Amino acid sequence: MVNNPGLDDVTQSFVNRETTNLNFLKGVGATFKRNIKIIMQYKIILLIGFFNTFIYISLAVFIAKLVPGEEIAADGYIVSSFSFIIAGALVMDLTTKILMKSLNSFVSEQKQGTFETLTTLPFGLKKYCLSEIFFEMVYAIVLFIVYNIPIFFIFNVFYDVTINIFSILTLLLLVFALLLLFFSLSLLAANFTILIKRGKEVAMVIIGILQLLSGSIFPLYLFPQWLKIVAYTSPFTHAVRAIRFCLFGGGNITDSIVWISIIILIVSAVFLYFLFNWTHKKIYRRIQLKGTVHEY
Amino acid sequence: MTIITNSTSKIFESFQNRTSHSNSFTRIAVIFSMKIKSALSYKSSLFMVIALNLVTILMYFFFSRLNPDMTIFGMSATYFEFAFVGLALQMVVGTSLSTVNGNIYNEILSGTWPSILIHFNIVEYALGTSLAGVALSSISIFVALSIGTLFLGLEFHFVFRELILIILLLILILLSHIVISMLFSAYCIWYKKNSGLVALIYRLSKTFSGIVFPIVLLTGFTGILSRTLPLTYGLQSIHEILYASDANFNLILYNFLILLGFIIIIGGLSCFLVSKSIKRSKITGSVGWY
Repeated sequence: MVNNPGLDDVTQSFVNRETTNLNFLKGVGATFKRNIKIIMQYKIILLIGFFNTFIYISLAVFIAKLVPGEEIAADGYIVSSFSFIIAGALVMDLTTKILMKSLNSFVSEQKQGTFETLTTLPFGLKKYCLSEIFFEMVYAIVLFIVYNIPIFFIFNVFYDVTINIFSILTLLLLVFALLLLFFSLSLLAANFTILIKRGKEVAMVIIGILQLLSGSIFPLYLFPQWLKIVAYTSPFTHAVRAIRFCLFGGGNITDSIVWISIIILIVSAVFLYFLFNWTHKKIYRRIQLKGTVHEY
Repeated sequence: MTIITNSTSKIFESFQNRTSHSNSFTRIAVIFSMKIKSALSYKSSLFMVIALNLVTILMYFFFSRLNPDMTIFGMSATYFEFAFVGLALQMVVGTSLSTVNGNIYNEILSGTWPSILIHFNIVEYALGTSLAGVALSSISIFVALSIGTLFLGLEFHFVFRELILIILLLILILLSHIVISMLFSAYCIWYKKNSGLVALIYRLSKTFSGIVFPIVLLTGFTGILSRTLPLTYGLQSIHEILYASDANFNLILYNFLILLGFIIIIGGLSCFLVSKSIKRSKITGSVGWY
């Protein structure tokens, strides 16, 4: 197969196409316009999304009631189990939305047979991946805000949070770093989704493992020592810990828990982006050999 | 071109022979084996689902180390044992709930739905696909149970009579979710798109049926909501059997009748709505070709 000269020509032509200097911003704009049109076809799903968020947060609320004394201590602060678990659940909700939406969009294109067409556009697969995931991230953030505002009022979330301006600014910086991480992670996961065509499962396994290791519903001191070490290899664990510290422990950028977390998140995001770049061409070549893209 | 047409028609013919001169059980078996083969061709997906289920179990195992107080029907139980039953049941319930609707949607997307309709009726298709899904998701339960028993200190004790009652309840729970899935597949066939309501009901069941916390915590609206979900009754009865000192059929009779009534009413309604949708798609859609 690899020695097929015809196929090599096709590959070369793809590489040439991908380096064509098409205006990136115009391409991103087109992706946004197309996706918004698709979303508007499924208005009922937008409404259901609110109920899904409500149900997800409800689960966290009721689980919190099971904690003895309804209080949890971590990193030098004591907070109600309700706030502790809700904070973890909200971070999970945002990141799950980003990853799920990103990977589902690729699977959906593949199922409907439009992926091959998008791949062969002069815009190029890589630029398409970047713009698609950027769109899905923005879309997930908008949905997260819109869905959670009423939920904040329904459940009186963070009723016992006292936070100062420095902590708020640090929190914003942390969230930005977390978004960068999930942008890169979604890009990398999308690469593998293109290959194995199972986006939902890939996203759910990644989210499940991150959720377990981050201690989203329990403090990490419950882990055995070896699992604690494993947990801290995940940048997401540092992010959840630092976000909680800003919310409940008055943490800000000068605290080591916070600044170390920000550095880890940014370095991991850059590393994952390079990994995406590295694997992208290999995976693209593989799908040309194994899949239907070679027909174009 | 002629060669392709001939071979394609041969495949169709062989498929028709297998299905048209057979009874319902054979046709359900054909669907069952077809779906199992199709699922096994995506081994990575199967492994990922098992891994995800294990991760969920582990998460509640660590949560249980916070020592939540648990009293179920007057008897104290460890939180992990309580949650494990619900989580294990959730794995098969999720499958039975999503399978019919999800499979029909996939058949519509991939264009194979009209040919399915030639050979099978909707009940055969629903049972065949759901049984295949449940069989596959049961693997997760056995893996989780083995790991739980060997490494996480999980212990369940029940006698033969209790096992029979649990199996009976399990059948009713699965059927009640299969008919819900059929109900929403009517929407899917009519509009050729997924309503997203099946996923919503799955999430509702996951949260308000007493899977990871007892339903006594639910009051007001959430309490009422919990009582509209069939899993609440099934799970409550399974917990009763596991934790009551003397479990017998009378103990679960009330919930048994509720589940049975639910299956008859929703099942009848789904058959009616699905047949209406199929009729419409035969008139207006591509099914008219067949």
